[in-house]
This record gives sequence, C-alpha cells and structure tokens, in this order.
Amino acid sequence: MRYRNSRRTFLRGLGVTMALPWMESLSVWGDQIAQPAGQAPRRLAVLFAGNGFHPTEWWAKGEGNGMELGRVLAPLTDFREKMLFIRGLYNAEALKGNIHSSQTGNLLSGAPLAAGGQIRSGTSFDQLVAQRYGRSTKVPSLVLGCDKSIPGIHKNYSLLYSSHISWSSPNCPTPLELYPALAFDRLFKDEPGRGHKSVLDAVLTAGKRFRQNISSTDQRKLDEYLNSVREVEQRIEDAGQQGELQGWRPTLDKPNVPRPADGIPQDIAEHMRLMCDILVLAFQTDTSRVCTLKFNNDISYLRFPHLDIDIGHHDLSHRGDDDWLKVNQFFAEQVSYIARKLEAIQEGEQTALDNSTLLFCSSMLTGGHDATQLPVVLVGGGGGRLQGGRVLDYLDKPNRKMCSLFLSLLDKYDIHLKEFGDSTERLSEV
Amino acid sequence: MKPHVYNKKREDRHQRCRESIQNGPPLVMLRLAATLVYLALAVLGGPALLVGEESAAFDALGAEYERDVRPLLKRFCLECHSTEHKEGELDLEQFASFPIVRLNPQAWQLVDQMLGSGEMPPEDGEQLSTEHRKQLLGWVRGYLNAEAHAHAGDPGLVVLRRLNNAEYTYTIRDLTGVALDPTREFPADSSAGEGFTNTGDALVMSPGLLKKYLDAGTQIARHAVLVPGGFRFSPHVQRRARTDEILAEIREFYHRFVESEDLGLGASVGYITGHTDTRLGNAGLLPLQKYFAATLARRDALTAGDKTIEEVAGEYGLNSKYLGTLWSTLSGSEASLLLDGLRARWRSATLQDAAALAADVATWQRGLWTFSPVGLIGRRGSSSGWLEPIDPLATHQELRFKFPALEQGEEEKDVVVSLVVTDAGDGNEHDYVVWQQPRLVRDGQADILLRDVRNVESESESTAAAEWGLDPAMFGKHPGGKPIDAASLCVRAPSVITIRLPAHLATDRELLTTAVLEQETGREGSVQVDVVAGAPASESGLFSSEVTVTYSTVTQVFSEDRSVSIARPILVGENSAARAALQSAMDEHRSLFPAAACYTQIVPVDVLHTTTPFYREDHHLTRLMLDDAQKSQLDRLWKELHYVSHSALMRVVMLEDLLRTMSGDNPEKVSHYKAIEPLQAPIGQQAAAFRKLLVDTHPRHVDALVEFSNRAYRRPLTELEASELRELYRQLREQELPHDEAFRLTLAQIFVATPFLFRLENAPEGTGPAAVSDWELASRLSYFLWSSLPGEELRAAADRGRLNRVRSQGSTAVNGEESVASGHRFNEAELLRHTRRMLADSRVRRLATEFTCQWLDIHAFDQNDEKSETRYPEFSQLRGEMYEESIRFFEDMFRNDGSILDLLDADHLFVNELLARHYGIDGVSGPQWQRVAGAGQLGRGGVLGMAAILAKLSGASRTSPILRGNWVSETLLGERLPKPPANVPQLPESVPAGLTARQLIEQHSSVPECAKCHARIDPYGFALEQYDGIGRLRETKSDTRTTLVDGKAIEGIEGLRRYLLSDRRHDIVRQFCRKLLGYSLGRAVQLSDEPLLMEIEQRLAESGYRFGVAVETIVLSEQFQMIRGKSFHP
Repeated sequence: MRYRNSRRTFLRGLGVTMALPWMESLSVWGDQIAQPAGQAPRRLAVLFAGNGFHPTEWWAKGEGNGMELGRVLAPLTDFREKMLFIRGLYNAEALKGNIHSSQTGNLLSGAPLAAGGQIRSGTSFDQLVAQRYGRSTKVPSLVLGCDKSIPGIHKNYSLLYSSHISWSSPNCPTPLELYPALAFDRLFKDEPGRGHKSVLDAVLTAGKRFRQNISSTDQRKLDEYLNSVREVEQRIEDAGQQGELQGWRPTLDKPNVPRPADGIPQDIAEHMRLMCDILVLAFQTDTSRVCTLKFNNDISYLRFPHLDIDIGHHDLSHRGDDDWLKVNQFFAEQVSYIARKLEAIQEGEQTALDNSTLLFCSSMLTGGHDATQLPVVLVGGGGGRLQGGRVLDYLDKPNRKMCSLFLSLLDKYDIHLKEFGDSTERLSEV
Repeated sequence: MKPHVYNKKREDRHQRCRESIQNGPPLVMLRLAATLVYLALAVLGGPALLVGEESAAFDALGAEYERDVRPLLKRFCLECHSTEHKEGELDLEQFASFPIVRLNPQAWQLVDQMLGSGEMPPEDGEQLSTEHRKQLLGWVRGYLNAEAHAHAGDPGLVVLRRLNNAEYTYTIRDLTGVALDPTREFPADSSAGEGFTNTGDALVMSPGLLKKYLDAGTQIARHAVLVPGGFRFSPHVQRRARTDEILAEIREFYHRFVESEDLGLGASVGYITGHTDTRLGNAGLLPLQKYFAATLARRDALTAGDKTIEEVAGEYGLNSKYLGTLWSTLSGSEASLLLDGLRARWRSATLQDAAALAADVATWQRGLWTFSPVGLIGRRGSSSGWLEPIDPLATHQELRFKFPALEQGEEEKDVVVSLVVTDAGDGNEHDYVVWQQPRLVRDGQADILLRDVRNVESESESTAAAEWGLDPAMFGKHPGGKPIDAASLCVRAPSVITIRLPAHLATDRELLTTAVLEQETGREGSVQVDVVAGAPASESGLFSSEVTVTYSTVTQVFSEDRSVSIARPILVGENSAARAALQSAMDEHRSLFPAAACYTQIVPVDVLHTTTPFYREDHHLTRLMLDDAQKSQLDRLWKELHYVSHSALMRVVMLEDLLRTMSGDNPEKVSHYKAIEPLQAPIGQQAAAFRKLLVDTHPRHVDALVEFSNRAYRRPLTELEASELRELYRQLREQELPHDEAFRLTLAQIFVATPFLFRLENAPEGTGPAAVSDWELASRLSYFLWSSLPGEELRAAADRGRLNRVRSQGSTAVNGEESVASGHRFNEAELLRHTRRMLADSRVRRLATEFTCQWLDIHAFDQNDEKSETRYPEFSQLRGEMYEESIRFFEDMFRNDGSILDLLDADHLFVNELLARHYGIDGVSGPQWQRVAGAGQLGRGGVLGMAAILAKLSGASRTSPILRGNWVSETLLGERLPKPPANVPQLPESVPAGLTARQLIEQHSSVPECAKCHARIDPYGFALEQYDGIGRLRETKSDTRTTLVDGKAIEGIEGLRRYLLSDRRHDIVRQFCRKLLGYSLGRAVQLSDEPLLMEIEQRLAESGYRFGVAVETIVLSEQFQMIRGKSFHP
C-alpha cells in the first residue's frame, strides 16, 4: 500500500508522538483500513455553539417520527428519524476549573486543562479522526469559526480555551479559519509550487539544528513548527496525486459555487451560511472529511440584529428569555441547513447525510455555566453505523461521560481505543 | 563557555536547595540583598527573616510546620483536602514533612489565597479562631516569603516564543520600511502567561498557520525591488508602479533644490516657434528671487561676518553651496560685462527689489539659452540636449522696420524712425558701425535709397521736404574722414540717427538696412544696433537680447531645420578679442544662472514616438548645488530607475515599434526612417550592456540577501547559515527558475525560517541559569519596548558586546569577581542608556498598544463590533477615536516618563473634535489630536473615564455594572474572585418597566449564593453608572453612591478614584508591575518574582511613580537578563 509507514502516517499521529519527532518509519495507526469498493467515505462534523441553550426549551422525547422536540431543536424536526438526542453527559475535567473557557477547551478531549497562564488540553476526538483519514483527502481537517477569538485570561484560564475545541496535540489548538474566502482557498486553491518545497526543505534543515541548544520544553514547541513545515512540504509533494477511494468518486469534483468575497461578512447570518456551505462543499467534493465549525466562542459578543435583537450573545445567555430562544433556534437552523444540504446529495443508495455524523453540542447546558450535563445531539447515519430517531438519557446512569460518547464515535470510524480522556467505557446504546 | 562567578553561585544555590530537601538543612549562607529582605518584611509581614542563614530560616519554618501547622491542617483542612478527596484539586495530606512542602510552593500560594480571602474554611465547616487563623496564615506567608527569596531572580520557564501577529507585522515593517499588513487574515493571537499574546505557550503552530506564513513570506518577497547594489522594498509589486515610485523619488530630490515649472509649449515661452505642439516639459528652475532676497536681507550681517553663508542658508531654507557662489559673485568686484549691471543694482537694492533682480536675470536667460525637445535625441539632426547655450552675437545684422499702416480715415502724417547704435557697455573705442545702404523697399517697386530721399522730395512742392530724410552729405564717409560706400552711413557708437519721412513714402514700405562693424576701425568693436520708431535719447550700456528658434517643418524638430533669430544681437567681429571677451562674460552669466537647473519632467512629453523613456539632464543642478554625497545619491537613484524600469530593454521595444511604423516607401517615411537609423546601434549596445549588468548584479543581490538576514535573524548569521542561504538560491536556479523568482523564494524563506519566526535563545548546559547573549538581550529589550527587532543603535551595541551581564571577552571574567562587577556596571549603564532612548522613541506606541491595551482588555477596540447599531448608531464612527485616545494616553505616559498613577487620576486627556464632542468638551476642532488639561472637571482623566473602557465593559445596548465592577476588581486590582455557583440563576425574563441597569443587577445579586461575589464587584460598577454604554456622561443624574465590600462608602468616579489611589494604591501599583513584568518576560509571574516586584514598587514609590523606573528595574533584573539552564528542574 502506497501510504504504509509513510512519513505522512507519522505526521497524522503527531498528537501521540510529538516527543518523538524524526522517527519516520513509525506506524502509529497500523495499516489503512480498506474501505469497501464503491462506498462513500464517512464524514464527521462537530458543530459548536457557546454559552449553552435555553433553560427549559432544550429537550426531546419519544421515538422515530413521534419524537417531540423542545423549541430550541424545532428547526431539526425534519431530521428526527436521523437524530439521536443524548441527555446527561458530562465532562469531569470541565467541572474542575472556573467558568466559560475552562469548561470549553477540553470539550472534545476530556483532558485536564492547564490553568495559570499555561496552555494544555488533549488531542481532541475530531482530530484523531482527521489524523486517521486526513491523508486520503487534500485537507485533513477543516476547522472553521464565525466568531473572532479574543486574547486574554479569564478566571485564570486563557480565553484560547474558549475559542478552541479542536486540538491536534495537547499543546496545539488547531487555528480556526474565520474568513470564508480563505477556507474556500484551503479546499480548492492549488498548493504552492516546487520552489516552495525547496524553501521548506531549507527551513527544515536549519530548523532541526536549533533543537540542540534549547530546553526540552522549547524543543517540543519547535517540533510543533518543524512538523508543520514537513506537513506542508508533504502536501506540496502530494499535490495532484490525491488518492481516491476505489470505485467511488465524489459527486462533485470542483466547487459549484463561486469563491466567497474577501473579508468577514458584516452579517452574521451570511457568515454562518457561507461556512456551512463550505463544510458541505468539503464533504461533497471529498476535499475533507472532518470539519469542526464553531458558530461562536464560549463567551461571545456576537449580535443578531437580523433577528431584531439588540443584546450580545453572552448577555442573552444570562437572561434565558425569548430572545435567547430565538438565537438558539438560529444556531439550530444552521445545523438543519447543513443536514438538509447533505441529505440532498445522493451517494449511491445513501445520501451524504447518511454517510456523515453531525455532532451538535455546547460546553454548558444553559447560560448559567451549568456543565454538570451537556447538550448533545447527533444527526446523520454515520455511514450506516448510527441509529437515529432515539432519545438516550444517561443523567442517572453511572457511565455518563462525554468521553465515553467519543470512544463510541471513534469506534464508528474504526478507531478503537482503550481509553480516551477520562473514560475507558463506551456508550453501548450509541 | 559561560564561566561566571555569579552564575556559579546561583547554580550552587539551586543545588543546595535540592540537597536541603533531600538531606536536610545545608549550612550555607543565604544570598539575599538586604534591601529585599527589608522590603519583604515591610510588605509581607512574615516571620523575621533577617540576613542570616537560609538554612536557619527554613529550619525554623520546618520546625513550626511540624509543631503547629500540621495539627491545624489536620483539624481544619484535611477532611476535604485529603489525598483521597482532593477537594478543589488540593491535596494537603501529602505534605507529611516540611521537605515535601518545599516541593510544591504553588499549593501553598493557593492556601494563602483561600485563607486570606476568607473563602476557607467553608461556612459549613469548623471555623478557625482568630489566633489559629493568624498563626496558620502567618506561617504560610512566612514560608512563601522565604521560598520566594530562596529562588529570587529565577528566570523562570519562558516557553519558546514565536513572533505574534503584532510583532511579526512590526518586525516586517521595520525590516522593509513599508507599511505592509501581512497578518491581516491570520487567526487572532491567543494569550497565556499574564494574559498577553507574547507568551510562548499561546503561540501555537499548525500546518494551516505555517502555510499562512509561507504565503505571507512569499507576498512580502514580492515587494522586494532589486536594484544594482542589492534590494530594497516597495509598497508596490508591479514594475510600472515601482518605476513611478523611483521617478517620484528623483523628482522629490530635485524639488529639494529647485522649483518645478511647466515650460508649456515652446512657442508660448518664446523659445521655439514653428512647432506649436512641442511641449518643453517641466523644468527645475532656480528660485532666484528667494536667493536674492536672502542676500539682501542678510547683506550687512554677511558683509560684517556676523553670519555665515551656512547660517543664512539654514534660516531661509536655501542651498548653501549656491548661496555662497551667488554671494561671492554679487559681493565681489571683478569686472564682468554682463554681471556688473546686476551687481550695481544689487548693491543699492532693498529687499523689495529681489523680484526685479530675478527678472533681470531671467531676461538675459532668454538671450543666452535655448531649449530643444528631448524625445528625438539620438536621431540624425536632432539636438544633443534639452537646454543649450546660445550666443546672441553676430557679425552683421539685417534690420527691417515696417512702417505702421494708416488707420482708416487717418490723415497722412510724417513718420519718425531712428537708427540706434549702442556701445555694448564696454566703451566705444572701436565701435564704428556701417549702416549699409538704408533704403525704403516695397514689393514690385524700385528701392529708394535713404540717401536720396531728401533730394527726391525737395523736387516736390512740400515745404517740409527739407526736413525729410537725411542730409546726403552724411553718407559715404567714415567719421574719421575715410570714404566708404556712397549710399551707406558710418557712425561711432553711441549714435542715434533720427529720420523723418513723409507718409506717402512710408506707407506700405519697410526701411531695410544691414548693420555691420566697419571693416578696419570697427574690427574690435562691439555694438548693439536697432531701428526704432521715434527719437530715443542716446544710451550707453549692454542690453539684453532675445533668441527665437524657428523650425522649418512641422512634423519633426531637427536642428538642421532650425533658424535662430536674435532680437538686438551684439555685433562683434569674427575672431575679435571683443567677441572673446563677450563670450566669456556670457559664459559667466550662464554658469551662475542657467535657464533651468534640471529636467524635472524626466519622462519626455514633447513627441509622441520616442525611444527615450527617461531623460536625465541635471548637470547644472549637480554643479551648482550638490555635495558629493548628494551627487552619489542622485546617481544611485538614476541607476535604480534604469535598472528597475529595464529602460534599456524598453528602448529596444520602442525602437522596434517605431521602425515598424516608419517602414514604407513614401519619401517622408524614408527620411524619418533614416533619421532613426543612427539609434539602432547604441540602443542595441545599451540593451546588451544592461543584460550583462543584470547578470553581473545577481551575486550582489544574493550577498544583500545574506546581509539582510543578519537583521531579520536579529544576530549575525553563522557561516553555515549564510552558505545554506546561498545554496537554496543555487538550488532554485538549478530548477530553472529565473534569478528574480529564485531570489524572491530565497527571501521568502527568511520570513519562514526558524530564527526569524522564533525568538530563539540558547539555553546553557546544566541546571543553573546564565546570562543571555548580547544579541538575545538586545532582542528581549526591543521586543519588550517596541514589539520589534532591535534598531541600528542597539544592534551596534550588541555587536560590540556592550549589553549583557557578562562581557564575553574572557579577560574580565577570568580576572575575578570585582572586574566582572565593574563589567556589570558598565553594561548596566549602556543598557539603561538604550532603554531610555528607546522609551522616548515613537515606537513605544507599540508598547502602549500591545501591553496596556491587552492588559486593560481594549486591544483592537477600533474593530469592536459588539455595539447595537440601532441603540448606538454613532459608535462605529467613534470606536477608532476612542481606541486612539487610549493608545495616545499611554504612549504619552511612556515616552515622557509620566507617573503610572495617572492611570487613575491624570488631569489631562487626548481628544480630537469627534471625541471631544462625544465627551461634551468644547473648543476642540479638527481631526488632529490635542492634549486637554483639567480632565477631572470634565468628568474624565485616566482609564476610568475613557470611552473605550467604559464602552468595552458594557453590553450591546446598555451599561453593565457587573462587567465594569469585575474589571476594576480583576484587571485593575488583581483580585481573584471565587468561582460562581454551578448554575447561575437567570436574570428576570422581562425587565420590569423603569428599572435601571443597577436595579436589575441589585435584584439579581440579592440571591444569597450570588451576593457573596457581587458585593465585591458590583459597587465599583455602580460608581461608574453616570457613563452610558458608550462612555457618554448621562444627562440625568444617576445613583452612583455605593458601599464597597470593605464598608467604605464612595460616590461616583471621583470617589472610586480616591478610594483606589489611597486605600488600594498598593494593589493598583502591584497589579501594574505584575502585568508589566509578565509582559516583559513573556510568562506568568511566579513566586520567586515577588522580591523583584517589591523592588519595583519600592523604587516607584521613591521616584514619584515614574514609568521609566519600573521598566529600568525590570530590564536590570536577573529575570530579564538570564535564562534557565537546559536541565533545570524546579
């Protein structure tokens, strides 16, 4: 197999092998799992909304098309049968710090967060999937955001945690792309040319030398960078020879919408819509299979004049009134929009939604910083491995860890781990 | 090798600390500065720890721990904070003995905080008695104090720092000199450490970001402009725009010396006729009037030697070289035919006459110079330059005088005309002129000789006939008596021969004659002749003449087709001494007063099809005004213009185009083609030479690249690095990339390279700290104060090894401690000198922006989009001004060494009209910023009254006393509030009508579980309620009276300000120092920094809280100057 034990394999496993940089022959994940011929790949999207949801309107009950939804999730009514509502999960590490940022930076990793002006979480589950499958696509993972991150320290935790849930290694939060045009370019613009490869080679050769005279902490930091250099270099090398799945071709081989305008759209609704479009486009063209889209930060000052609301997101979250509900629904509508577009893409017998998992969540249940249980909804068929139309309630069960859900989801992507974050168990019902 | 007494000691101490934990108390002296101990006692109030044995102090603490503290912990704390339960992540049970305590001082900082704030023990647990509390807290603080001093000066863990977005941008701008914005679309930076984006932990890297750096580097490299001597940067990336940029630079250079004036069409200024569409272009004229004015105004002072030429030139903004030349000419006494008159007038002139003197010069210039079009230069028959001298000299002159025609119905009357000869100012010894056969001519009629007029007319009946014409006896003889041609007149200058003619003879006739110097007696004469109407008085002297060039064809302007006519020329004999004397006099005038100093047009505009893209003519400027440095600067600019524009190659294309249009066989085209042919060879040669020049300069570009990386890497490149850089270029060329592209890629590499992107610092071997190198220290200083690379002076100091703690030259270190110490002092002085210089520099604005605005939470406030457009439509216009005010305030404080207490009670503020109106301040107009005093009375002054802060700490459409209060507590005072309850109750769903923000919050905060914290933060916010959501003063009075958690009642901003400055001054100052230290070090402040913080505070208090003192103390600290060893273990 072309990719076996390649440098690329190593690079995908950065999260695990950061401390062992130049061992190119190391195979972290073993062989690539062969996907059955003619079958579309599984995709994963994490859709995040900060500051939780309405205090009383986030709920679901019943089954199948008889499922009833609270008003927050009303926009997803059409997808009830492909939806899994999960109640009562929590992340133990997120309860240990303070509020907001310390509740968010480990949402997808379950790792302890470093406080006191340091930065450390854990490799997030979406990035594990990206590291596993990313080599098959042009862009290993797309991390998008619609809310500018804010520098600063809040309650002894860096606000970086508030804006980054996707971590490619414990020390490396994946930067968010805020500009729709640049996100589009990442997917569809040509890689830099051969000359750039020589440039990166030179950077690497000299860069390696500096490791000798610095402390181990700094070496780790430097490796983050040197590995990034190698990764980009590798992409240049691979450009134009992306592997496709045998017997399956994406339903679209180039974008069918124009490149978005430069800059950040003034209107938040347009911004979100463009990011959703790009996510769908990435999946449809098989340019990327893993996408994390943060609608906003935890602690967010987004405003919603198009909903006729003149109060910032964070303020609203503490009011929990009808305006807050409207904003929650607006976020749910984005999920619904993505689901609808994916549902419209026919991939053989299945739709792209059937081949995807959308995880819609927040880092607290309500705006009152309550993270003792998290709002979680899954939409999509997970490539035939996810059974929708159900409500799962773990609130009173002993195993109710968010990381258990991640272990279960990782299984669906053929990544079988003994433990992840604070959990060694799975949610068998998922 | 870094052998260093000081380091060695420190290393020993660390070693001993570890030993003491493992083996019990060591018997060594604790190295503590006496001042610090005294400070520690003053502030911390811990147990007596005087200069003495470190071990003794720790012994005592250890004994107390075993005896008193552990039992207290057991009784009050361990139930929850046991190894099993670890409530709040705190395990106090693990500290079974004092040596174990010492392994984790951080845990005890937490204990200090929780006990100090009264949060622990919990309300439902057993409470400590006052005495127990005092004992426990006293011990904890004493212990922490001892620990802080034991490790004082530890450089701490500073994680490898990548340049953050701001630093990257500033560094690029300082490197390139171009205002590029390469990180505009980068992800926003995150913070770590003390909350700043210059902290290594937060500066992450990923393939996505690396790609952005690669793209940014490539983009920046596109801005490089290759020039013969190397390269520089331009805001532009297109050749055309860069060419224009250099053109503008050359013109700007010219304009420093001359005034540019459009000469317009040749005909309109009298220089050229026959080509009405020939534009002569912009000329750089000497501003003579200004120069004359200066010489007149300062004539006495210059004459008396009270002032020098340089001083006067300085006063008037004139070129001293030219002023000097002019002065010596005007004040000199050497006879000069053309200048004598000017000089005489100048001597008696007053300041008002400057214009007249300049006009006098200008009149002569018209006779001494001619302009030609330059677009044709090089073609057969074209002129060889733009401005060329011309001599208004002739051996003879034909004069025609056309009698004016009669007006309709005008009665016939006599006409009076005079033949005038003047002596050209040089005496009349030889000035014999012959008026050859003056006669009246008319087409188709026989000429009437002037000689015969009287005779012919006397035959008529007219009584006036005797008055007409001239006495025939005057003709045919030399004044000396010798006979000449019978119909000619011979006179000696000065002479005026006036002739009266009857109308019937004059009508439709011309008087025609040729004036010529008499062959023998007039050979050395010099005269000017003229035929004028009327009867002028006889005059003496030299009169200016004018030259007109006429071309015979209208399609091309070639010198072979031109004729020159001179009004009132000077007649002199061929090869005569008089001619030579006049020529030299005219040269003198031309030398001093060229009609133009340079061709500021540069790009010819006179013909449509030219092969001269750029035309340089500035030798007069160079000669008269430039010193050597200026000359070479101008030459360099011109070289760059030709180089950057590829003008030699452009010419080839232009010539080809032109030849194509001229191919054909009609006679006109053939003649034009022939005129162009001579250009082919030189243009071809130039192009070949230019191509060779391009290739020849390639190595210099690569050399310059290496040179440039020294700056970019903030240190000299190693030989290996330099050769790798060259190797990369070579490799790229091998990939068949053209030089330009290979160069740019190599340049791009620099911007992605590790030593550019990261602030690499070599850690010493072993566990102990060592001083960073001079270069590393220079970078620390410049990134601290300027967020950018070191400037030239700092680089020079680093290069000389003048900065860091240890002189790297072995001698001082080897000579022992004393010379090392004096080396310290020497370097300290140098370091302080640079620190102060840099603090006064305008680049300190970046410190104001990056440090202060990040600390105060208003960074990038100019892009704040959190406000409701409907509630505050004016906000988007104001946010930039609000931000600017804050930055200016701190920039001013930093640059002028202001008091940091101004943070709260400055009595000044900076506003422009827009912001002043927002603040309700009258009398400020215009967009420019002004410093306004009396801010306190206007309800402003310091950060509490700043719109940016008041607005930032408000909601989208209303104020938020909670946000403001929390900001005062956490940001200004550095308090740490407990964690809010697990589920904060929602604010009431609907706000009852008429409820103020304050009342709403008071409702919320009355919930008992919330009240605990809100009582601590809300009152600060209530005090600021007079300011609305975007910082305006509310028109109606708000309730701003409130009671703080410590029981103090205050009212409004003034009350809050007084409270913070008096009751909480220590906290405010401490927080400022803490933040500044954290920012300067790029890490969180740690326990061992406490002594330094105390030192800064102490020095601030002694110095009137001057900002510079805080910076200096930090810069001189061990933390700032040293780095931990590679194998350091805490």
